[in-house]
Amino acid sequence: MAGLGKEYRAGEVIFRQGDTGNCMFVIQDGEVEAVAELEGREFRLRTMGPNEFFGEMALFEKEVRTATIRTTKPTRILSIDKKNFLGGIHEDPSLAFRIVQTMSHRIRDLTDRLARYEQQR
Amino acid sequence: MSGTKTRHGEAVELPFQVYARQFEKLPPCQARCPSSGDIRGWLGIIAQREKHGLSLDEAYDKAWQRIVEFNPMPATTGRICPHPCEDLCSRQDKDGAVSINAMERFLGDWGISRGLTLPDVPHQRHPETVGVVGSGPASLSFAYQMAIRGYAVTIYDRDERPGGMLRHAIPDYRLPREVLDAEIDRILGLGMALVSSVDIGEDLTLDQLREKHELVFLGLGAQAARRLGIPGEEGPGVIPGIEFLRKRKERQDTGCGRNVLVIGGGNTAIDAARSARRDGCSVTLIYRRSESEMPATAHEVEDARREGVEFRFLAAPTRIIRDGDRIRQVEVQAMRLGDPDSDGRRRPEAIAGQLDCLAADSIIVAISQEPGWHNSGAVLEAGAWLRPADDGRLQDKLFAGGDDLGPGIASRAIGQGRHAAESAHAELRGLPQPPLHPNSPLLTQDSVKVDYYADRQRSQTPRRRESSWLANPDREIDLTLSYAQASEEAARCMSCGLCFDCQQCFMYCNRGGFTRVEETSPGKYFAFAMDACEGCGKCIELCPCGYLEDRDVLT
Amino acid sequence: MAEGLELLTGKAPKPNKAEAMTLGDGSRVAVIGAGPAGSMFSYFFLSMAETIGLDVGVDVFEPRRFCHRGPAGCNHCGGIVSESLVQRLATEGIKLPDCVVQRGIESYILHTDVGDVEIATPLMEKRIAAIYRGNGPRSSEPLDTHSFDGYLLELAEQKGARVIPRLVTGVRRDEGLMTVSCADQFSDAYDLVVVATGVNSRLTEMLENETAEFSRADRTKTFICEFFLGREVIRETFGPSMHVFLLDIPRLEFAALIPKGDYVTLALLGDDIDEALIDRFFAAPEVRNCFPGGQVPGHVCHCYPRINIRSATPAYGDRLVLIGDSGTTRLFKDGIGAAYRTSKAAAKTAVFHGVSAEDFSNYYAPLCRKISNDNRVGKFVFSVATLVQKARFARRGILNMTANEQLQEDSPRRMSGVLWDLFSGSASYTDVFLRTLHPAYVGLLLWNLVSANLPGGRKAQKGNGHVRH
Repeated sequence: MAGLGKEYRAGEVIFRQGDTGNCMFVIQDGEVEAVAELEGREFRLRTMGPNEFFGEMALFEKEVRTATIRTTKPTRILSIDKKNFLGGIHEDPSLAFRIVQTMSHRIRDLTDRLARYEQQR
Repeated sequence: MSGTKTRHGEAVELPFQVYARQFEKLPPCQARCPSSGDIRGWLGIIAQREKHGLSLDEAYDKAWQRIVEFNPMPATTGRICPHPCEDLCSRQDKDGAVSINAMERFLGDWGISRGLTLPDVPHQRHPETVGVVGSGPASLSFAYQMAIRGYAVTIYDRDERPGGMLRHAIPDYRLPREVLDAEIDRILGLGMALVSSVDIGEDLTLDQLREKHELVFLGLGAQAARRLGIPGEEGPGVIPGIEFLRKRKERQDTGCGRNVLVIGGGNTAIDAARSARRDGCSVTLIYRRSESEMPATAHEVEDARREGVEFRFLAAPTRIIRDGDRIRQVEVQAMRLGDPDSDGRRRPEAIAGQLDCLAADSIIVAISQEPGWHNSGAVLEAGAWLRPADDGRLQDKLFAGGDDLGPGIASRAIGQGRHAAESAHAELRGLPQPPLHPNSPLLTQDSVKVDYYADRQRSQTPRRRESSWLANPDREIDLTLSYAQASEEAARCMSCGLCFDCQQCFMYCNRGGFTRVEETSPGKYFAFAMDACEGCGKCIELCPCGYLEDRDVLT
Repeated sequence: MAEGLELLTGKAPKPNKAEAMTLGDGSRVAVIGAGPAGSMFSYFFLSMAETIGLDVGVDVFEPRRFCHRGPAGCNHCGGIVSESLVQRLATEGIKLPDCVVQRGIESYILHTDVGDVEIATPLMEKRIAAIYRGNGPRSSEPLDTHSFDGYLLELAEQKGARVIPRLVTGVRRDEGLMTVSCADQFSDAYDLVVVATGVNSRLTEMLENETAEFSRADRTKTFICEFFLGREVIRETFGPSMHVFLLDIPRLEFAALIPKGDYVTLALLGDDIDEALIDRFFAAPEVRNCFPGGQVPGHVCHCYPRINIRSATPAYGDRLVLIGDSGTTRLFKDGIGAAYRTSKAAAKTAVFHGVSAEDFSNYYAPLCRKISNDNRVGKFVFSVATLVQKARFARRGILNMTANEQLQEDSPRRMSGVLWDLFSGSASYTDVFLRTLHPAYVGLLLWNLVSANLPGGRKAQKGNGHVRH
């Protein structure tokens, strides 16, 4: 009964690609996979484990979710709501530093993958 | 679930209110010290000196003055005492016991080199005079304590020079004469009379002595050696241990050969064995129990080994085989340890049929001492130990202490001399009898929070190079700690059971219930407002030395 | 305390930034106290310094060890990490491990004499952490816990802070730098001294007398105690809820029971708390009924910690800054959250601007002012709460309104939200107060005040306190 966040069973969907959302999630325990759906097929983008976050784009934009997140095993996830996050950044912009850093890594990773994909074509 | 919880292993009613109080405890070192010296006190004077504006020199002086309140011969005991104080030091399992013995030695030598003086003798002397028989540690301690209380003391000694066993039975390489002379002369210099070469019982009876002096103290020691009681013991070549050591010190012929067996397991046996090695003899020490049961100090045994003394354990002599007058061989019996006897030690039993013959030309017998006086009056019965009360009182105005109660260490004798003097003085002046036992409760082990204290390495006592030990047979092997080392070692004392100003209680009491006292001194820094206590128990749990305790737990 | 202390040169070379009050490579910072403020300052300071390649040493002076059970290893508080702080820490990448979180709290149960109501968020998520500041209450059994303060200190050490297990007894200015001196005569010089000792240690009092540069925080006394009930019993009687009380007991401002593992923590806030007040609280039926058998058991651990109710002024000077409870903190609630905010603001100022009084005035004081101003509103809000505690009709109205909201799926939960944020410290008092001015809120409240006090109009039942989960 100790532990923060909400508990999900294995294989549960946190949110679907195309849903609207207004919070970010931080994994406390367990694992999730990010899956993109395109023309009926699923592509696994990445897996994430404890202390990693996802869904952060909803905090900065009003767009829909860009991927489906599904647990791969029993997982506990904490949600970070928009109001708290933006209020925090307003008072202390450096709160976003880690998120920006991670997004930067992801862009680097995606750029790399895209380049290799283009090369294969 | 009902409201029972355990505390210190016992069920306690809830709620817990843990109200604090300051309460000095007896530290384990002082509980073990037979002369009950204020060890924590004199270490604290040095360790806490900066808080009281003392230089290191001043602190050493003051610490010496504190020691000699209890023990006027620290340079001596600092060399020969087996230091039971260190056995239970709270620091033991952390990084080694505090080197109390080495510190005592340092301060003793400091006192000698600085020419520090014992407490002044009062101008007004009391009318009663005091007669002291013997001049060993018990008698010297008694004489000293009486002299500084204002009594005229006369010491009667059988020997030419004072000191008792300290002079006769301890080899130079353990206790140099100059050190002993300096400390004894300092005591005698308080103005007491010394009458040498007088045998009480022979030259002067005890009753005559008691007519001369209102108060008499008997420090006769245990002068007679126990005999083996085996065939072949009569005749030359069988030398009692104490006699061997004494003759050696007086540079007389001991009658010892080249191939020596030493019988015994105490410090006298080891002293004799190592002395014989210094004479160039080949030496084997025979002890009827195993090594771990030897009463001798462990590091003395170790040093003896390094000097080439051979050891044979679980063996006892049964017969001395002579060729005419000369010893040729000694027959020894193999022993095994049986059931424990009345003092808890396992009794050695002979293993039937297992006999061995060792070649030897001399035997030194060091198997303990016995009362050596003749019958004299109702008090002295030949062969019977004296049995005084706990404070040393045998009869009205007659006291005793030291080995004449049974063999023991010098520190015990010094303690007995002091207790007897306090008691005698109280009797003569009509004062209430002083308490024998310290009035602080003993510290419980878990009240010292050993983790609080930073690690500090134990000082290494400097020693001469091993190759020089036998080559310079009369020179000391162990040396004194250095000036700097002593200061470092004193800082290792955890001040068990008494405040040393860590200031945590003062800082962390939520209520601010501790205030600094105006005039601090070692052990005394903060006053505590007991009626302000909120019962949270934080200060007690933080107090590293266990000075603060739960007021409701009876100690 | 300063008398007789001599300056001994420390082992590190003396910092030479006496003229420019900014930190450069080789500068040294002393943090006094390793509670949340001190540890978080060290953590963020070193992180920020790393990003700009600034090589500064941080020494944290803390003689206590958080591995001790009972008050010796504890910094005395109810032990709640608010929802907003949990989220902020998670965003910063600081995840509280399971051994530190004694319980995840997901709802509040409000107890009054006219009934109980449970206030939950629709998220069904545990976002409030109940923790032990030390290593658990005094007990004879070993506990499977880990100190919150100890965990934060470990994080700071991993970032490169050095822990010095010495008790600081004095801080003074010396040749343009700050000298820190300790009980064991050790002393050393630093470019910046960060005071994070809280208000239960004597250091700020001594500093105030020594330097005469600031006046220290005002304090009031609170009461904290721990009850042992065992995990199973707690799960049955308390569940994952914090229990708060609005009772008509004079001088009592706030009371909460916080379940943690095998123990339940009670925190009482009030005006000059004493044994009489505590006994009255224990005698209240609403309190007794929370415990098995309707009896408040004996407690195994207790203390009367002081809390900061008015900021130190100013909370800084040249090369000196007071953070956490030593400086400015939120009134009554979310002290740990305030420690996070002030420690980070102080760290930012020191890394990116400078360590002069002017720098702190420009970049650190605004946050302190913001918190202090919000506290003024908070004081007002709590005094209204006190009135509610006294007026039975008000209690009925509020309870009713909350119960109604909890029953409806999509209600905007105005009263629930106000109460939630008030109890948990998750929003500023100003924010809460402004919401109470909203016409819909006012309207609904008035309606409930009337309807709840009419016979037959009450929704909330007088519960017996046992909420099953």
